[in-house]
Amino acid sequence: MAGAPDERRRGPAAGEQLQQQHVSCQVFPERLAQGNPQQGFFSSFFTSNQKCQLRLLKTLETSRSHDLEAVVPQNGAVNKDRHFSCEDCNGNVSGGFDASTSQIVLCQNNIHNQAHMNRVVTHELIHAFDHCRAHVDWFTNIRHLACSEVRAANLSGDCSLVNEIFRLHFGLKQHHQTCVRDRATLSILAVRNISKEVAKKAVDEVFESCFNDHEPFGRIPHNKTYARYAHRDFENRDRYYSNI
Amino acid sequence: MADGSGWQPPRPCEAYRAEWKLCRSARHFLHHYYVHGERPACEQWQRDLASCRDWEERRNAEAQQSLCESERARVRAARKHILVWAPRQSPPPDWHLPLPQEKDE
Repeated sequence: MAGAPDERRRGPAAGEQLQQQHVSCQVFPERLAQGNPQQGFFSSFFTSNQKCQLRLLKTLETSRSHDLEAVVPQNGAVNKDRHFSCEDCNGNVSGGFDASTSQIVLCQNNIHNQAHMNRVVTHELIHAFDHCRAHVDWFTNIRHLACSEVRAANLSGDCSLVNEIFRLHFGLKQHHQTCVRDRATLSILAVRNISKEVAKKAVDEVFESCFNDHEPFGRIPHNKTYARYAHRDFENRDRYYSNI
Repeated sequence: MADGSGWQPPRPCEAYRAEWKLCRSARHFLHHYYVHGERPACEQWQRDLASCRDWEERRNAEAQQSLCESERARVRAARKHILVWAPRQSPPPDWHLPLPQEKDE
């Protein structure tokens, strides 16, 4: 991110790439609303900002991001009104983390269902978590950005088998790692004006370290069961560290 | 290691059982293969469960030691990656500050 206030909404510190199969709907979101019976009533009566706010509320109450919320700043809380903002975004970015204002930007024109909102919020909360626990140089150190993007792609569900199949990326053995490398590279390119080779090189340099950094979950939370176990471990941490 | 009089297993025995059961599940096999390209190793959870139960029933010192070593090995494995960035002692001071006044609502 450049750091200039008027560019804040255009160049977040860390971003997420939209799923490729919705290319046509990224520019014209009203077409998606017409074809989705589940959202017919929803889309008729609410603006995109209201839908974004409602989906965000549901995510924070029920999703695995609930666990991240508890640990993002070690001594405080994530405040929905202070740390989240629903806005229209350019291009096909789904969201971003703005380190200069400590705020997560959700692209209300590019998030079209609850599952996607869950993933985007989890992804951006991982960036917020890294921002709170380490001196991350978002703006001038490409390796720091790459590391946080690897972690976000790894731990948010972006690269689940089901999501990859929906993107028509078929692979099983160790495919998760291929996906994490690719999506981290795409996320870097969405917020930095650099070549694909430079982005890929940064991802490769930090991958071994950052792919195996599963904080704050302690594991990759593939589904609610894993997230529940991670939350249980977090609540048990005092007993754990005082008895080993 | 804490002295025996106040020590308890790092996790409740039920947690070891749940982790072992999850590790052996078909779904976890699929997840693990998808991520690591190999089958998961679940034997250590079973050993830890046995040690935990042994401690609960008989206060066996060997079981306590085995459990501690196993958990310390897990912590070492989780932390062995080289950090890319320097850790903070506290969150950024501006985390809870109000947004700048220039922001349009």
